[in-house]
Amino acid sequence: MDEEPERAKRWEGGYERTWEVLKEDESGSLKATVEEILYQSKRKRVIESHGQVRLGMMRHLFVVIDCSRSMEDQDLKPNRLTSTLKLMEAFIDGYFDQNPISQVGIITTKNKRAEKLTDLAGNPKKHIAMLKKAVDTVCVGEPSLYNSLKLAIQTLKHMPGHTSREILIILSSLTTCDPANIYEMTKTLKSLNVRVSIIGLSAEVRVCTVLTRETGGSYHVILDESHFKELLMLHVKPPPTSSSSECSLIRMGFPQHTIGSLADQDAKPAFSMSHLDSSSGPSLGGYFCPQCHSNYTELPVECKVCGLTLVSAPHLARSFHHLFPLDAFIESPVEEHQRNGFCQACQGELKDKSIFTCPSCRSVFCVECDLFIHDSLHCCPSCIHSQTAS
Amino acid sequence: MKLNIEGLLVYFPYDYIYPEQYSYMLELKRTLDAKGHGVLEMPSGTGKTISLLSLIVAYQRAFPLDVTKLIYCSRTVPEIEKVVEELRKLMEFYAKETGERNNFLALALSSRKNLCIHPEVSSLRFGKEVDGKCHSLTASYIRAQRHVNPNQPVCRFYEEFDAVGRQVPLPAGIYNLDDLKDFGRRKGWCPYYLARYAILHANIVVYSYHYLLDPKIADLVSKELAKKSVVVFDEAHNIDNVCIDSMSVNITRRTLDRCQNNVDTLQNTIQKIKETDAAKLREEYRRLVEGLKEANVARETDIYLSNPVLPDEILKEAVPGTIRTAEHFVGFLRRFLEYLKSRLRVHHVVQESAPQFLKDIFDKVCIDRKPLRFCAERLQSLLRTLEIADIADFSAVTLISNFATLVSTYSQGFTIIIEPFEDRTPTIANPVLHFSCMDPSIAIKPVFQRFQSVIITSGTLSPLDIYPRILDFRPVTMASFTMTLARTCLCPLIVGRGNDQVALSSKFETREDFAVIRNYGNLLLEMSAVVPDGIVAFFTSYVYMENIVASWYEQGILENIQRNKLIFIETQDAAETSMALEKYQEACENGRGAILLSVARGKVSEGIDFVHHFGRAVIMFGVPYVYTQSRILKARLEYLRDQFQIRENDFLTFDAMRHAAQCVGRAIRGKTDYGLMIFADKRYARADKRGKLPRWIQEHINDGSLNLTVDETVQLSKHFLRQMAQPFRQEDQLGLSLLTLEQLESEEMLQKITQIAHQT
Repeated sequence: MDEEPERAKRWEGGYERTWEVLKEDESGSLKATVEEILYQSKRKRVIESHGQVRLGMMRHLFVVIDCSRSMEDQDLKPNRLTSTLKLMEAFIDGYFDQNPISQVGIITTKNKRAEKLTDLAGNPKKHIAMLKKAVDTVCVGEPSLYNSLKLAIQTLKHMPGHTSREILIILSSLTTCDPANIYEMTKTLKSLNVRVSIIGLSAEVRVCTVLTRETGGSYHVILDESHFKELLMLHVKPPPTSSSSECSLIRMGFPQHTIGSLADQDAKPAFSMSHLDSSSGPSLGGYFCPQCHSNYTELPVECKVCGLTLVSAPHLARSFHHLFPLDAFIESPVEEHQRNGFCQACQGELKDKSIFTCPSCRSVFCVECDLFIHDSLHCCPSCIHSQTAS
Repeated sequence: MKLNIEGLLVYFPYDYIYPEQYSYMLELKRTLDAKGHGVLEMPSGTGKTISLLSLIVAYQRAFPLDVTKLIYCSRTVPEIEKVVEELRKLMEFYAKETGERNNFLALALSSRKNLCIHPEVSSLRFGKEVDGKCHSLTASYIRAQRHVNPNQPVCRFYEEFDAVGRQVPLPAGIYNLDDLKDFGRRKGWCPYYLARYAILHANIVVYSYHYLLDPKIADLVSKELAKKSVVVFDEAHNIDNVCIDSMSVNITRRTLDRCQNNVDTLQNTIQKIKETDAAKLREEYRRLVEGLKEANVARETDIYLSNPVLPDEILKEAVPGTIRTAEHFVGFLRRFLEYLKSRLRVHHVVQESAPQFLKDIFDKVCIDRKPLRFCAERLQSLLRTLEIADIADFSAVTLISNFATLVSTYSQGFTIIIEPFEDRTPTIANPVLHFSCMDPSIAIKPVFQRFQSVIITSGTLSPLDIYPRILDFRPVTMASFTMTLARTCLCPLIVGRGNDQVALSSKFETREDFAVIRNYGNLLLEMSAVVPDGIVAFFTSYVYMENIVASWYEQGILENIQRNKLIFIETQDAAETSMALEKYQEACENGRGAILLSVARGKVSEGIDFVHHFGRAVIMFGVPYVYTQSRILKARLEYLRDQFQIRENDFLTFDAMRHAAQCVGRAIRGKTDYGLMIFADKRYARADKRGKLPRWIQEHINDGSLNLTVDETVQLSKHFLRQMAQPFRQEDQLGLSLLTLEQLESEEMLQKITQIAHQT
């Protein structure tokens, strides 16, 4: 029976009774099993890739954060709210890293109301700043799913049809206080092609199950903090689009970065359009919109003047890899591999139990490099190498 | 799926099978082979019904001479319908696999109220009214009168059925109540009488317990069912109480008053008939002299108010002279009535046995035992002779005459208790005469004697050995099956202490204790914050619930709970309760979350399932002991001790635990379901209580969860609920708790399956 009362003590959360998994080997050492556990935790996040599926590359995502009374619960450290906001920061970073041409907005709900923390925007810094500020929010009352969804829809329904509309709800409370029938709202969401996903912080709630099932989203409940992070990171990858969404061509601008120097006579100081409200002064250099020559300090951004989407080529390329995911490397025990004991990437010795072989170039990698390649690089270094060499 | 159960080919209409279903069928087959009775306990939601049906149908096909009929008794109409639907699925599967239409006839039978299609009669609301009205349209003398007077209204459906229906057998197929009604409408036949006629040659009959156990009805409906039948009592954990209720009679002053009116009416009618048609009464007298045997041959519709179990010799005897003429009989009834009235004028409680009562009645009003025995029969004969159409009004006098017959027939196993007032209201005089049956085996004995195999089955029958003892039969198999689970989807926790270490218990001494009530409130409050959607809380009695809720209100606990969930309360009013239940489900459905406060032994605890989100947790506040001060119970306990050597405490604990198990079992209705079962009383931790829980619950209680505080419970619940919320697919079950045919046939699995059944 795996239901021991000791297991759920809060100070033990996340450890998962590791001592029961530990077994001494012949020499009485625990080293082998400890390594095994570490290894397993590394492998956990191996992502199954979709292959040839249409993905919603331009995402419009509203994150709804529950700020109700239950967020003060201390089963996540130091409490649910702080922990959530912390993870959200990492999520926002990861999100823009993987989906550079997408936008995100944050909504909080408490006291039966929903408020917009940030509007849909493509600038991670602003969101993160707001999240940092939100740590001090007082958590009161009950959340309202209906109101949050309504607020999100108001913006999302105006988004163009080729983009994916998503709502991600972090729900800590087990109740929702709705002014109207939530199942009507579900129908509206469905007709608007909005996908609602929910991460529950406490337990499975019926209405969430129905909501996510109807709108094609996913519903997960966290086990502990690391699981929470994992679940959150699942939403970083763009989801497959439904076949009903339309396709269209999008105009994009690729501005060049110019570095103005005071010595250059042509250089005119300009205010960055995206920071007009902030206190930063005019600068000489920056990205200039190819259409209207307004100045921006950073990309990607939608030009405030002419509405052109401004990106840089690497951004697009980064989004691109989702469409052609790198095949999973073949895992095999190290004994089968006799040639040489070195990883192709880091040139380190292959010490772990398993090695990973790229299916196309048959190069061998260690666990660490395999993870790095799949999580960050998205291409096999030795394949690239052989391409350029030939 | 086709299974091979020890050489018997069983068609099973699903692609997957639970291991315990296979094991269950094995045991069932052995019982049938031995032509004996069986007691089988299998958790709810593991497909008991379909396993039973598949095996018995297969058995019927393989050995048509050994088992001719399956009589499936269930408790409520929805349950009956569910059984028929399962059966339909099975038959469709048979048709698909064998490619031939088999001539299998299966049907459900219920009361007139559920089957009547007569436009006027069926619009009546109460069962009694429907029965009475139906009788006034279909009784034989009414129909005879029609020959004379064509304006006399009769039921055309019955006429049609009587004219043609008997010659043409009901075509083979599966009929639930609606199918019967449809068929009746198409043909213009009365579905009720059609069904009653058809059960004689049907292969499978599904009906309510009462058609077999209640002697008044059983005599009418189930008399001619073949001996080689298999009888199944499903959800039979309360079968002893059903038996007892069917044999007990309660007489109040109101009954007697109504009875008095009845007798007056009888007197007047007799007077009238005497003036108009004295020959009729003479005819009756002649018949009574010849004996009741002949009277028994009367047509089926007349036997409306049938007799309680009468020994056969009575029917052969002639009615004693003292009550043979109508006037004498009415006089006799009057005397008997006056005697009862005088008995009800008591100021203290009287308890006596049937022989004592008979002696007293002989001394006081000179009524002999013999005429009393014929009372029920004689009354029926009189009612028939007087051609009283609206028979429903005569329920009071019928009750009295039934009582007279019972009290003079059985000297053992019954007790008479006369109480001047109810226990709750000791100041208001409200005398009641309880003629209480103490021995459930009296009512069920004919069933065990008559039929070849009787199977008693339910989700909660622990401890198994007590049922054969109190029902007085010898089973050939007794087995309890566990639930094989791919994940531990039930979490029984015993909360013994509050956070302040106050022992939690509903025992009498601490019942009013403020600290206990507060801690119970705390438990509910904390649970309402961590359990999603629905929580069902059970109390031991209505009074206890009222006290606690009032106290919680004063302490402000109720208000705090309402911040998390809405609160609904079961009351004794059925309409109110069903309203509360509906709203409760709505609140669970739309994410508001709700708590239903209800009572063990109440309507909610027996008949209503809380699947999935409707019941994520069940909290049992206290041990639901029956009210032990009741004299009826005391008499029964004494009887159990003397006759069956069952100690009072054993029986009380058994009774409390089966109700507790029923309550907590409401939450888990299948393997994909999950729920917390919280026993909030430290007495549950004791081995004698815990050991009486069904095995499938018991095996998940580990030593660590025996005496938890509220805080620990909350932590465990949180953890459990998170675990259970992780994705769970059918594939996860496959091979463990859900088997394909190949997996089933593997050696290793067959090994495992033998361990599922736990023989006692």
